Order: sequence, then structure tokens, then C-alpha cells
Amino acid sequence: MSLDLTKVAAQVGGMVARLKAGGAERQNRLNHALDVLHNWSADLELLRAKIASSKTTWLVAGLVNGLDRCHKAPPTPAEFTVIATDGSHIDVDRHKSTRCNLINIGSVILHYGVSPSATLDSFPCLYFGDEELVIMPAGVRGREQPIEGVLLGIKRSVDECRQLANLAAELPPGSSILALLDGSLILWGLAGQAYPEFVTEALLEQGFLTYLDEIRKLNRDKRIALASYISFPRSTDVVNALRVALCPHEVADCDRYCASSEKRDCDMVAGVQDRELFSAILEQGERSALFISQSSIVQKHYGVHQVYFFYLRVDDEIARVEIPRWVATDENLLNLVHNLVLDQCQRGQGYPVALSEAHEKAVVTGADRENFWQLVELSLVDEHLPTLSSAKSRSKRTRWV
Amino acid sequence: MSTDEVQRVGEVVEASTTDFVAQCYELYQTPPLGSLVKTMDLTVELYGIVYNATTTSIEPGRRPIARGRDEASDDEIYRSNPQLLKLLRSEFSALVVGHRQGDILYRYLPPKPARIHSFVYLCSTEEVKEFSQSFDFLNMLINTHLPVSTDELVAACLRQMSQAYEDRHAFLVAAGKELAILLGGEFNQLKSILGRIRQ
Repeated sequence: MSLDLTKVAAQVGGMVARLKAGGAERQNRLNHALDVLHNWSADLELLRAKIASSKTTWLVAGLVNGLDRCHKAPPTPAEFTVIATDGSHIDVDRHKSTRCNLINIGSVILHYGVSPSATLDSFPCLYFGDEELVIMPAGVRGREQPIEGVLLGIKRSVDECRQLANLAAELPPGSSILALLDGSLILWGLAGQAYPEFVTEALLEQGFLTYLDEIRKLNRDKRIALASYISFPRSTDVVNALRVALCPHEVADCDRYCASSEKRDCDMVAGVQDRELFSAILEQGERSALFISQSSIVQKHYGVHQVYFFYLRVDDEIARVEIPRWVATDENLLNLVHNLVLDQCQRGQGYPVALSEAHEKAVVTGADRENFWQLVELSLVDEHLPTLSSAKSRSKRTRWV
Repeated sequence: MSTDEVQRVGEVVEASTTDFVAQCYELYQTPPLGSLVKTMDLTVELYGIVYNATTTSIEPGRRPIARGRDEASDDEIYRSNPQLLKLLRSEFSALVVGHRQGDILYRYLPPKPARIHSFVYLCSTEEVKEFSQSFDFLNMLINTHLPVSTDELVAACLRQMSQAYEDRHAFLVAAGKELAILLGGEFNQLKSILGRIRQ
């Protein structure tokens, strides 16, 4: 047995005991956060101005039209289509002789109404050769960035969005469509100083945002709303707005006032997550007010696709739904997102059925991975090409005592 | 569709010397139990008797769940969840009972099994009539171990074949006489089958 669970069990016990002991304190903080949420709802302008002038070390939600507002789901249209994509990948394996990666995009078109139909498909794409495996700045040699690990994950998000735009373009004019992505619309992997600007340019500006734009422009002859769905979100953007509200200083400035202080007033809501907050105020099917993500990558690059979000109650779960500005500011599209995401969750046992099926079409299992590498090796052998692999990789495959 | 037109009912997805499994193009469109179907192995036409049909999830790990609590009818479940038609599949198994090579029809096993992806057709009335000119195939049905009881299968097969004849009764009587010879020492089994084909 490689993991000795008897040794872990005692440590798990300690962890659970700690959680149990902190339960009452967490409830107090949540109650306090709820009080602040309700109290400041009347002073929205004041809080908005305070947030605008604040310099915080954490991400604070931008306010749109409320804090504790709850919106009931509008009625579902009689005819509509839901499209969704999801992806999975096989990364470059440095222990193999061949350098390549594979992205598999699962796509789903579900049409509901008089003639219901479904199209489930997958699009695997093998990438090889330097031009596909690295990102290079225009005209500069030697600063290439290999598309591996986190960057391959981002590339996958771009491919998911491209496939979604392709699906959307093929749908007939006049349709009401919800286009769904899994996870966040914000490519967090590119945030901060993680990668040089040319990488952001290639993947975000010329990739992800271009495809979002293609989808937006389809609204000329059909009604298409784009959204991404985050199940069990851990974000604290709204709670952080409450922290600003709690800050005793006229202009919240963490580095200036609280760099060394041990106890801060805003810690009274520390540890509370947005989903706990909205779990207490949203009824089944209701959505929260709209908020805006203030993340620097969004502010700097997203433009018309600036990311708005709301929380949605589906049974016991609070989900975070992210939408671009052009959806958030169009009441029809916003309502379409609200009721169709909810409808999808109800049809899918709590999770959007289109996303769940797209995942099923995309998923690459451990066995698939093995088969893929075997196929590559067999094809190399057929052509009498060397199939060297590392000693480490061989030792993992052939275990001995 | 008239019974005289050749109707494509599926595609071979599993094959052995003695039987083949075919997947239907449309969910639930399996041919009736006991019907005569045919498929091809290059130049050889294989004949089979449908002995089993299943409808299951396409992925073994994904079991269907009950969905109809708030629906008025089971049809509504499919309307509300159009993806279901793509996530389920209907298959049927056929016991190979003969083959045709050139113009000659043999009522015994062919030299090779069916090819995977070969189309499977429901035999026309004329083909059923031709095949059932001799009851040699009954011996194969009786002597095979299948998930469906032999009595049920033999009876279903004869009922299906009798539909190709104007005088169904005469056909069934002839079949009954053949069975009486084959099951000479098995009175209970003979009685059981005859009870199932009596009109």
C-alpha cells in the first residue's frame, strides 16, 4: 500500500476538530457580514465611491445596482438552444521521445422546444512542431515561451472559446441561445507578472477575446448570451467590498494604515466567502445583484467583455455566473442567462446539463492517455523512427521488487 | 415500410462464429425477438435469428437515473432531455443459423464470422420463405445455450416466420411435426413450445 491511511487518519481527526472548534466564530463573522451587506445597501453610492478610491491588497467587487438585491428567475422561453464546450488535454511528456500535446474539446448543442434535438461531439487536436508548441514574440528570437503546464491550460480555454464561437455561428438566425463555458471568463493564469506581454497578446487579445467578440457580433441576427459557470465558488470579491465598508479610514489603504497592525476592523468578516453570504439571502432560483470583477487583467485587456458576475441559488448550491459587459447591460440577454442557466441546472441534477455532457465528451482518462502514447510509439515504430523514453518513465511502467 | 423491402436495422459491433451483436441506428428500433436478419462477410451472406435485445447507457459507468417525477409522460422525459437519445443505445444479438454463398443457401454455420460494421438487414418475406423451406436450423436453436430460454426463442422464431405465409397454420403444423422429431424424448419441452405457437 503506497499511502498508509492509518497514519493519515489521526491527522484528519485533528483537522476536523479544528474546523468544529471554529464553527461558532465563523457563524458570527457570517452574521456580521450579512448585517454589513444589508446596512450598506441603502448607501450604495457612498460605498461605490469608497471602493473606487480604496487601495486594497485584495480583489474588491465593483458595484452595479445593489448589494443585497435578489432577482427571481424570469420565465423560460418556449424555444431555445444551449451550447457548451469543455476541454481536456495531454501535456508534453518530457520523458517521451516525441514532443507533442493534445487538446480534446467536447461540444454540445441542445435544442429545446417543439422539436428537441441534441448534438454531442468531440474535437481532438494534436499540436506538434515548434510553431505550435511555443509562443514567440514577433521578430524576436530566443524569447520563446513553451506551451506546457499552466500555459497549455490557458490555450485549452482559448480552444474551448473558439469552438463555442464556431458552434454559435452555425446556429440558425432568430434563435435564442445560451453559450456556456466552464469555469471563469477571466484567464487567471495570465494575471500578474506570470508571463511576458507577448504571451497575453497571443492567447488573450488574439485568442480568447477575439472569439468572445465573434460571439458578441452574432447578436445581429440571433439572440445569443454568453456565460461561464463556476460551481462551488471560493471567491470573496463581495465580502472584500464589505471589508472596504468596514474600514474606519475615509480612504481604505491597506499598505498605509494596516501594513503592520495586528488586528484590523475588516477582519470581522475575514474567512467568509461570497457563496456563504448569498446562501443566506437567495431563495431557490434567485440571482444576486450584478457585480464587476476588478481584476487587473480584466481592467487592462477585456474592454467591452469586462467581466460582470452574479451568484445564483440552485438547490443547496450557490454558483457564480460570469458574463461579459455586453450581456450584463442588455436586460434581455441577462434574463436569458439567468433563466437558462437555472433551467440547465434543474435538468442536470444541479449542474448545467450541457456543461456536464461537454465534459463527458472532452474527458481524457488515464487509460486514454496510455493509449494515446502507445499509438504515437506504434506509429513511430511503423516508420522505423527511434522511440526512446527516459529510464524513469520505463521504471514506472515496469515495477519490480 | 412494406415487409418486402429490405430494411436496414443496425450494424455489427461484435461478432463470433456462432453469433453477432448489432447496434441499432435508432434507439429502441430493435427487430422483434425471433426474426430472421442477415449481414455480410465480403461475399458470404450470414443469416441470424434475433435472440436478445438490450437498451443501455453507451458508457458502462453512467447508469440512467429516474427523471420523470415532474413529467406527465415518459415521452416528456425525452423531450426535456434531448441528449438522452445520444447517450443510450439499443443492441440486438443474433444467432447465426445459416449462410448463402453464391446462389446456394446453407442452413449451418459459415466459414467465418460477420465483419464488424457490416450492415444488418431484416430479411424480406421472400427471404424468410426461402430460408424456412427447411427446418434444419431448428436443431441449432434447440442445442444452443442462450440467455433467453430455448422454448421462448424457438416459438418466437416460428411465429415470426409464419407471418411470411398466407397459410400460417400449415406452416406451424409442419414446424410442430419437425419439433416432435427433434424433441422425441423431451415431451415437456415440446409441449411448452407448441403451447407458444398455437394460434
